[in-house]
Amino acid sequence: MAASEATIEVRDLRKHFGPVAAVDGLSFTVVPGQVTGFVGPNGAGKSTTMRIVLGLDAPDAGSALIGGLPYGALRRPLQHVGAALDAAAVHPGRRGRDHLLWLAHSHGLPAGRVDELLEQVGLAGAGRRRAGGYSLGMRQRLGIAAALLGDPPVLLFDEPVNGLDPEGIRWIRGFLRRLAAQGRAVLVSSHLMSELEDTADHLVVIGRGRLVADTPVAALLAAASDSRVALQTGARERAMTVLSAAGATVAATGRESLTVAGLPAERVAELLGAEAVPFSGLAAHRASLEEAYMELTRGEAEFAAVPEGEGPR
Amino acid sequence: MREGRRGTVPDAGAAAAAGPAAGRAVGRRGVRRERGPGAGFDGLRAAGRAARAEWTKLRTVPGTWWLLLAVAAVTAAVGAGAVSGLSTAHCPPAGCREDVVRTSLSGVWAGQAAVAVFASLAVTAEYGTGTIRTTLTAVPARLRVLAAKAAVVGAAVLVAGGAGAWGALLAGRALVPVGFAPYDLGAGPVLRAGFGSALYLALVALLALGVGTALRDTAGSVAACLAVLYASPLVAGMLSDPEWVERLQRYGPASAGLAVQSTVGTDGLPIGPWAGLGVLAAWAAAALAAGGAVLRSRDA
Repeated sequence: MAASEATIEVRDLRKHFGPVAAVDGLSFTVVPGQVTGFVGPNGAGKSTTMRIVLGLDAPDAGSALIGGLPYGALRRPLQHVGAALDAAAVHPGRRGRDHLLWLAHSHGLPAGRVDELLEQVGLAGAGRRRAGGYSLGMRQRLGIAAALLGDPPVLLFDEPVNGLDPEGIRWIRGFLRRLAAQGRAVLVSSHLMSELEDTADHLVVIGRGRLVADTPVAALLAAASDSRVALQTGARERAMTVLSAAGATVAATGRESLTVAGLPAERVAELLGAEAVPFSGLAAHRASLEEAYMELTRGEAEFAAVPEGEGPR
Repeated sequence: MREGRRGTVPDAGAAAAAGPAAGRAVGRRGVRRERGPGAGFDGLRAAGRAARAEWTKLRTVPGTWWLLLAVAAVTAAVGAGAVSGLSTAHCPPAGCREDVVRTSLSGVWAGQAAVAVFASLAVTAEYGTGTIRTTLTAVPARLRVLAAKAAVVGAAVLVAGGAGAWGALLAGRALVPVGFAPYDLGAGPVLRAGFGSALYLALVALLALGVGTALRDTAGSVAACLAVLYASPLVAGMLSDPEWVERLQRYGPASAGLAVQSTVGTDGLPIGPWAGLGVLAAWAAAALAAGGAVLRSRDA
């Protein structure tokens, strides 16, 4: 598993569905050893981009390469790229194990590999049951097993936590972290930034098919948290008056809490002390990923109203 | 990855320089790919893996076995029923000239409906459930997928259809009413009719597979196949111009293909037995070509 092979490079990608530009000049690179979150609202072009990377949709322009090659040029592609696009995409009459078995046979992999993976994703007991009776969580696990069948260095997951219970979400997060720690390139899409909290190392944010941000999570959080102060006070109105007068932007975040932007924490304490405004807490504010995302996409509020996956195929 | 790199030559000049000995393939939407030495063997193995995957896929849904059973059972039962229903009442005084072999095999006419459903589903169910994307990520060479499906679906129907046809011939021989000439199962025309009927059903399967691949929809594909298979005799019955009736019988996939079952008065038929089966084969090839073109050019 050479490092250079474990990359996804998307360059100037364009794809139209009729008059709608689903992907509009998108470029980004997914590197090995980390989880890259692929974020944007529904209809932003995430699934379309992933389908193009997998050679399912042909782009109008641009390229999507895996380890430098288009998907169609990969011999035994499942050993280069694993993908879980749509958990519902299993034949309801086929047993879960058989779903993995035909995939294994397409690559000359032994049945033992199938059982190994069923064990790994926690479906060993359900492999002989028909997939039609699986819960959404079990189907997600089956899809992940299918993606890992060829032990590929590159992995793509489209909304893998959709519809999962908290236990399942925790399991998937840990799983994604482990895959990245093994040196694989892991691309995970989500329309909810909060789902990627504590999972993604890097974020590719898109809106209306265009790149909004391509940034390490740590840098994004630092920028969004920058020079903001969280304040707890019983005298909210007085504190707002005092701090606004000093040039700060103050926002009430609760009955007894404020967020202050534009003044460092020491200056806030100084001002409140001078005016004898009581306060019980004062701390540098740490933005959540969701807040950082809202900040980032404020200008992109008007997203095209085309639901993801409903375009022509 | 080493294998994969060999698969691509970005420079078309280099591809040409490799000479005619190297097999050349044009990928989807004109991406030219060059295969190195030994590509023929690699390609064969890849085709084998694809066929094995398709067979695993086919045999692991219960519907497959029910439909194949239906093909055999309907073909045998309807044929046996038709033979036992033969009556000498309408025979000319010189004796009955009925083609009893063809009557025994008339169940093929009904069995082909089950074949159309089975072969359509082999591909349209993948679109219905969304597994087509999984299939095409596992085997990105789309025509290889279609070829693999054609091989396993055709072979399965050949076996089930053969069982039905020979079951019908055995039952028919046992049930031939008094006054009709019994037939010898080893006779040349009977062998041709029996194996030809199995081939007929296999070709109907390929026709339906092609139509299903082009239409991507179970109901649409089954309806189109049934229309093509059953409409031409119906339309022929409504036409008054005998020239057009003969044309329909000669070029309609079902009427032409079923000529392979004739054992009596073969010379007087609008089309010969093997030529008729050839007409059906041309229909199947055209449907597969249409399906292949759609599969290659459209997004999955």
